[in-house]
Amino acid sequence: MPRLFAYGNRTGWLVLAVLVLLILAPLAAVVVQVLLPGVFFGERKLGDLSLLLDVFRRPLWLQSLRNTLILGAGTTLLGTAIGAALATVRSRWSFPGARLLDMAVWLLLITPSFILAQGWVMFAAANGLANQWFGWRWVHDAVFTPAGLIAVMALSKFPFAYLAVHTALEWKVDRLGEAGRLNGGSPWTVWWTIEAPLLLPAYCSGAMLVFMDTVGDFGLPASIAAVFRFPTLPYSIYSALYTSPIRFDMAGVLSFYLVLLIALAMSLQFYVMRKSRFDFLTARATRSTARTPARGKWLLAAGNALLLILAAGVPFVSNLLTSLTRPNGKAGVAFTGEYYRELFDRGGQLGSGLLHSLEIAAGAAFIGLIIGFFVSYVLTYSGFALRQAVDVISLVSLAVPGVVLGIGYIFVWNQAWLDKIGLLLYGKPAILVLAGVAGAIPVITRVLTGAMAKVPKGLLSAAQLQGASFGRRIRTVLLPLMRGALLSAALAAFGSGVFDLAVTSILFPPNFMTLPVVINKAFEDLKLGYAAAATLTGGGIVVAIILALERLLKPKRQGVHNP
Amino acid sequence: MNSIRNNRALTAAALLGLTMVAAACGSSGNAGNAGASPSAPAATEAASTPPASAESASASPSASDASAPSSAANGNGETLTVYLNDFDDIVKPMFEEQTGYKLNIVSGNGAEIMSRIEAEKGNPHWDVVWMDAMPSIEGLDEAGQLLDGWTPSGADKLTDFAKQFVPASHGYYPTGTHAAGVIVYNTQKFDASSVPKTWKDLADPKFKNTVGMADPAVAAPAYPFVAYFFQSLGMDAGKDYFSSLIQNGVHVYPKNPNVTDALKGGEIQVAALQESNAYTFKNSGAPIGIVWPEDGAPGSVRVAAIQKNTRHAEAAKAFVEFLLDPKTQQALIDKGDESYFEPSVQGVNPKPDRAPNAKLVVADAAWASKNEAEIKQWFADHSVK
Repeated sequence: MPRLFAYGNRTGWLVLAVLVLLILAPLAAVVVQVLLPGVFFGERKLGDLSLLLDVFRRPLWLQSLRNTLILGAGTTLLGTAIGAALATVRSRWSFPGARLLDMAVWLLLITPSFILAQGWVMFAAANGLANQWFGWRWVHDAVFTPAGLIAVMALSKFPFAYLAVHTALEWKVDRLGEAGRLNGGSPWTVWWTIEAPLLLPAYCSGAMLVFMDTVGDFGLPASIAAVFRFPTLPYSIYSALYTSPIRFDMAGVLSFYLVLLIALAMSLQFYVMRKSRFDFLTARATRSTARTPARGKWLLAAGNALLLILAAGVPFVSNLLTSLTRPNGKAGVAFTGEYYRELFDRGGQLGSGLLHSLEIAAGAAFIGLIIGFFVSYVLTYSGFALRQAVDVISLVSLAVPGVVLGIGYIFVWNQAWLDKIGLLLYGKPAILVLAGVAGAIPVITRVLTGAMAKVPKGLLSAAQLQGASFGRRIRTVLLPLMRGALLSAALAAFGSGVFDLAVTSILFPPNFMTLPVVINKAFEDLKLGYAAAATLTGGGIVVAIILALERLLKPKRQGVHNP
Repeated sequence: MNSIRNNRALTAAALLGLTMVAAACGSSGNAGNAGASPSAPAATEAASTPPASAESASASPSASDASAPSSAANGNGETLTVYLNDFDDIVKPMFEEQTGYKLNIVSGNGAEIMSRIEAEKGNPHWDVVWMDAMPSIEGLDEAGQLLDGWTPSGADKLTDFAKQFVPASHGYYPTGTHAAGVIVYNTQKFDASSVPKTWKDLADPKFKNTVGMADPAVAAPAYPFVAYFFQSLGMDAGKDYFSSLIQNGVHVYPKNPNVTDALKGGEIQVAALQESNAYTFKNSGAPIGIVWPEDGAPGSVRVAAIQKNTRHAEAAKAFVEFLLDPKTQQALIDKGDESYFEPSVQGVNPKPDRAPNAKLVVADAAWASKNEAEIKQWFADHSVK
C-alpha cells in the first residue's frame, strides 16, 4: 500500500482523477444502466442482466458485432500499412507533392467521417458522380462491399498511423543505421532489423488509434446505410439511444462490448511490446531531413498523387462538385454559386456556428494538451502502479461513440445538487469544452507518448542530478525536444474538435448551434449543396488556421535551443 | 523534496486552469433554465452578454410563479425553453414579438430531442416540447412528466378530427396532422392504371424490389406509419403484412429524405413517403405521382406538451396558446418547411395543392406507446438480413 503513494505517484493519481472525471465517469454512468436502470432519476430497481447475452441472440446485434470486428481488423491492417509507409517515405525523401501529403493528412484528420463517407456516397452511389461523369458502374459494386468499406475506411483513417510514425521519425540517431550499413546490411535489412523495431511503439500506437477510431466510428456506417446496410456496434448503440422508447441499458450493453474490444486490443499491444525498450535518443540525435532520392523521385510522386486522389480527392471533389452544381432538368446539371451565397444570407447561422465551434475546439485543445502532456509523462516515465489503467482510459473515448459520452455527460453534469455549487454545467457551453477535452485526449496522448518514448529517462535523471526541479526539467529538456509533437497534437485535437458532431448534437445548449450541427442538419434535410458548401467553407477556414499556426510555431531546422 | 512540491504545484496548476476555464465558460453561457436576466429581451445570443453575477442557473428562480397571467407583449423577457424538431426559424421571432417572452430553442431531429428529454429526466431543462411524435409524448405523459389538467382557451377551436387526440389527462394538445406515408410512384415507369392504389398492393410481386420506405427505428414519422398497420390489422396480421413487404424486397432507408433520394436515383420506383417530402419532391419537377389510398394514409400528429415542474408555467401556457392560434398555424403552412399538414384548429387553409380528399387515419396514442418497443424491435430484427 505505501507504494501507491510513493514519490512520483502523485502526478499519477491526479492524472487518473482527471481522466476518471472526464471520461470514465460519464461512460460508467451509461454502462451502469444495465445494472441499475434509472439510477440517476431516483429509481431503485435492478436491471435485466440477460441483456448481456442478447448480443449473441438478437440478429441485429450479432450482425453489428461481426461487422465491427471485420471492419476494425481490416482497416487497422490496411490503414496502418498505408500510414506507416507514407510516413517513412515522407521523412526520408523529398519528392514533388510532399507538402500536399501533409495537407491531405490534416484535412482527412479533421474531417468527420460522416462528411468523408457522404463524399464517397456521392461518388459511388448508383446515380453518383462515378457513373454520371465517367460511366463507371463497377464503382458501386466495388465500394459497397465489406472489402470496399475497409478500403474506404483505411483511406480515411491512415492519418492517425501517419502522424504517430512521422512524429516518431522527427529525431533520429543515424549511427545505428549507419553501423548496420557499414556491416553490409542492405537498406531493407537495416529498416527491417534496426529501424522498424525501434519504431514499434509508434507503429503500435498508430495502429491502436486507427483501430479505435474505426470500431467507434458512427458516421461511415450511418452514411453508407442509405445505400448499403452494414450495421456496426456504434450504429446499434445509436439506434438504442435514438429510438423511442429510449434504452440506455441497451446502449450500455453494447458500449460494454466496445470497451471490451478495446481492452483486448490493448492487451495484444502490451503483449507484443512487452520485451522492448524504446528510448534511443542520445546526444548524437539529429533532426531528420528529407533528401532527394537518387532516382525514383517521380515514381514516389506518382504513387503519392494516386493515393491522395483516392483518399482526399474523391470525397472532396465530390463535395466540391455537389456544392457547385444543381440539377437542371434534362440537361443534367448546371453550375451555380447559389449555395455559397446562401451560406452568408441566412442570418449568419453558419458564421455563429463556426465561431462557437472554433472557440470550443481551441479551449478543448488547450486544456487537452495540458492534461495529455501529464498523461503521457505518467505513462512514459513514472512508476505509477495504475499506469495501464491510465493508458486504457486515455484511449477509451476514441472508441466509444461520442453520443454515449454525451448521454453520460448529461447523467453526470445534470444532477440537481450540482446547481447548489454552481457546477450544473449541462446546458452551458462549458460542457462542450469538457466533452471536447475528452475527445481530444486520445489523439493528444498518443502523439505525445509516441514522441516521449524516444526521450530516455536518463536525460531527465541527469538534469535532476544537477538539481533541476521538476518544472525546470520539463521546461528545458522535455518540452524543447517535443515541440513538434506538441504542436501536431494540439492542432490535430483542434481540427477534429471543430467538427465533432456526435457529442455536440446531444449536448449543445439552447440557441448555441455549432458548425457540425448546422452541417448535419442540412445533410438530414438533404440540402446536399448547402451542406457541401458549408463543409468546404468551414473546413477551409480551419485548415487555413492550422497551416498558419503550423508555419508560425513550427520549430525551425536550426532553431531548437538545447541548453 | 523540492521537486515533489514542484511536481504537485504544476499538476495542481493544470487542474486549477481546467476548473477556471470550465467555470468561466459556464458563467458566460447562462442559457439553459436560467431565466435570470430580468430585462434583456433584445439579447439574441445567450452566449454573448452575460449578467456578471449569473454564476448558477437558479440564481433567481420562479420570477414567473408570482407574476399574473400574462397577456400579449407582457412577457418581461422571461425565457422559455422549447424543444422542437421543426419550424424553429418561424416560431421564435413570431412568438417573441407577440408575447414579449424570450424563446430558447433546442432544435434537433425527433430522436435526438426524445433522447435528451429522457436523459434529463432527473433534472429537466425544457419547459415545452413540440414534436410530431405523439406516441412518445404520450409515453412522457404516462410517466408523469407532463403538466396535466390544463385546458388552453384555444382548445375551443380544435377541429372534430383534432379533438380525438386530446388525451383524458389533458397532458398535450395537437397542432396539426400530416400523412406519415402516402404512396408515391415514378410516372415514367407506371401510369394511373398500373400504380399501387392500396397499401396491400405494395406486396404485389409486380412491385418486387422496387418499393422503398423509411425505417421506423430512425425516422420520427415512420413509427406512427407502421404502428397504424399493427393496430388496425392486429399484431400478428401486422407482422404478416410487413413480412410480405420484406419478402417482396422492400428497401428500408433511414429517413424520408433518403427515400426521396433513392427515387431520384432510380433504385426504387414506388415508396411510402411522408407527405411534405412527397409534395416538395414533386414540386421540384420530379416525375412523381402521389396517391392518397382510399383506405387512408397513416398520420402523425404534432403535439405540444408542458413539462410538469416547469418554472415558467405562464410562458409555457402562452406558447401552447400561440400554437393553437389560427394565425400561427396559417403562418406555418405559408412559410414553413414541413408545410403540408392538416391544421388542428378551424379557420386555417391547408396548402392549395394538397389533395382535398386526403384521408388520414391515426393509431391510438396509448396503444402505439405501449407497443412501441416490441414493434420497433421486431422491425429492426426482421429487416436486417
